[in-house]
Amino acid sequence: MKPFTFTLRQEPPQRVDLSALTPDRLAGKSVAQIEAIELGVTRISTKVGDLFKVSEGDLKTVRFEGGSSRFDLLGAKLLPGFAIHVEGDVGAQCGRLAKGGRITVAGNAGPHAASGNLGAEIEIKGDVGEFLAGPLAGELAGMAGGRVIVRGKAGERAGDRLRRGILVIEGDAGEDLGARLIAGTILVLGEAKGRVGYLNKRGSIVLARGGCFGSTYVDCGAHELTFARLFARSLRDHSAPAADLLSRKLRRYGGDTAVFGKGEILTAD
Amino acid sequence: METATLDGKAIALGDAYKHAAKILSGAAFPLVAGLGADVAGARAAILLAERLKGAFDHLASRETLADIDVKRSFGMFTTTANEARLRGDCVVLIGPGLTRAWPGMLERLALAEPPRRGAQAQQPRKVIWVGPEGDEANAVPGAKVIPASVQELSGVLAAWRARFGGRPVALGAEKVALIDGLVETLRNARFGVFVWSASTLDPLAIEMMQALVIELNATTRFTGVHIGGRSGASGVTQAAGWMTGFPPRTGFGRGYPEHDPWRFESSRLVDSGEADAALWISAFDGEKPSWSRADIPLITLAPAHTSPSRGLFIKVGQPGVTHDAVLMSQETGGMTLRKASAPTDAPSVAQAIGAIMAEVSEGAWR
Repeated sequence: MKPFTFTLRQEPPQRVDLSALTPDRLAGKSVAQIEAIELGVTRISTKVGDLFKVSEGDLKTVRFEGGSSRFDLLGAKLLPGFAIHVEGDVGAQCGRLAKGGRITVAGNAGPHAASGNLGAEIEIKGDVGEFLAGPLAGELAGMAGGRVIVRGKAGERAGDRLRRGILVIEGDAGEDLGARLIAGTILVLGEAKGRVGYLNKRGSIVLARGGCFGSTYVDCGAHELTFARLFARSLRDHSAPAADLLSRKLRRYGGDTAVFGKGEILTAD
Repeated sequence: METATLDGKAIALGDAYKHAAKILSGAAFPLVAGLGADVAGARAAILLAERLKGAFDHLASRETLADIDVKRSFGMFTTTANEARLRGDCVVLIGPGLTRAWPGMLERLALAEPPRRGAQAQQPRKVIWVGPEGDEANAVPGAKVIPASVQELSGVLAAWRARFGGRPVALGAEKVALIDGLVETLRNARFGVFVWSASTLDPLAIEMMQALVIELNATTRFTGVHIGGRSGASGVTQAAGWMTGFPPRTGFGRGYPEHDPWRFESSRLVDSGEADAALWISAFDGEKPSWSRADIPLITLAPAHTSPSRGLFIKVGQPGVTHDAVLMSQETGGMTLRKASAPTDAPSVAQAIGAIMAEVSEGAWR
């Protein structure tokens, strides 16, 4: 059966909150009811019907034909078993607090993508903004589960306070990658600019290219890690270059010793 | 000097208020930015943003939010400058330009004098300055200067914390011995104080320093004095806090306050076209907006000398200079009344906004 589809009619005049357009929240509503859902976050009203042509289909998969960098909170609190695909860009906080399921974005994503993700699989074909998988202002922890694959570049502070789960960035990462990591794993296949892993508690950062990580990362030598090879096998279907990186001999830097020194940065030797 | 101009041409003050109200009421998402004002001005501006269902931001909110981010997502020990002066037996100044961010710092902290209270009373005060600029540190005789660039500050703090916990660092034995000596000084302090300004220290470095403070507090007393941002940032943040529950970069688009440091950042709102009219307030020094778009309908409230050639300009008085003003005082860490030093009859920010607000009727837009 064809997916439930929202076809974009026009670029929204203001930012819109798409958190209401997840399968569980659309279930049981008629097209007329859906078209009347308010998406606007300013004093200008923007309803679903103003922005999209709605075509009914199987709610297991919701499809957006056309995106916008103003689409905030797409797939927020998504439940396991459902999928959302966007043929275009999304705005801030895509996949925020998603409990499971699958989100694919063909274009770019804004800041705080996968923020607070609890178990969803999120794939961004383009670039993402700052604070990928990071906590919102004032929150104590970032992403706590799931897998996020970014085919393009990531902005500053990617993986901030990551608590659990896997982040793969196939392009470059901005400044302060993996800052305040609590745990979890980040892989970067491009270049990681500036400071890396500042205040890292016990997370793992795997980099295709080495660098200088400051005085609080201590060289522990190059290793053939058995776990990394197992991990590589599980990642093969999702990101082949990440799997290749993990299969190589890796040099381990233990740190951030300012915190506990239980975290690590692994670089291809 | 005209009291109000429209695209550089003088107009009557009453017409200026009406015109301002028309611009703001007609916008889809108006922005109240700059917010360089005293507490009364900030209150009026935030009320206006609420009535217009717009957003507000302060011109130094990047610095303010750096400190607040650490406070709300990690924790922060702070004290007042007076407490640091009376009890601080070990004062660590971090970063360059602290005396620029707070011109009265050296006088208030009296670093050359010994502390007057506490276990180390009348003993010489130990002063350490990491990465001062130029000869800034010469003003404190006996201060131990540790040279470091702004980029190196976070690494220096990390190395201190690692050695304080007895963990290894990737540095030569000579440098490690120096750091260990310094860490010993911190450990032996009876009332230690870090002094910093978020204009030169990023939020992660502040978090590193505060984590060190927490660890030091297991065996001794250590705390911090942070230097607030320019243009009344601390007072405006307090006012925003008690009015909305949030610091600046808060919007009222849905009728209730929502705080998002990314979404309601003033330059982004203007440059992305989401904000389609702006009220820019900079009553202290007439600082210009940081956004790059010049086509947004703009109302500027600033002192006389800054009259812009574009948009609507309304001259306002300077808080504490031409008007009595309640401001957050860096010296005492509380709100204080600054008496006007050279009173004039120009309207204050609060009066100007009150006059604009009187022309904005509730729910009249669109």
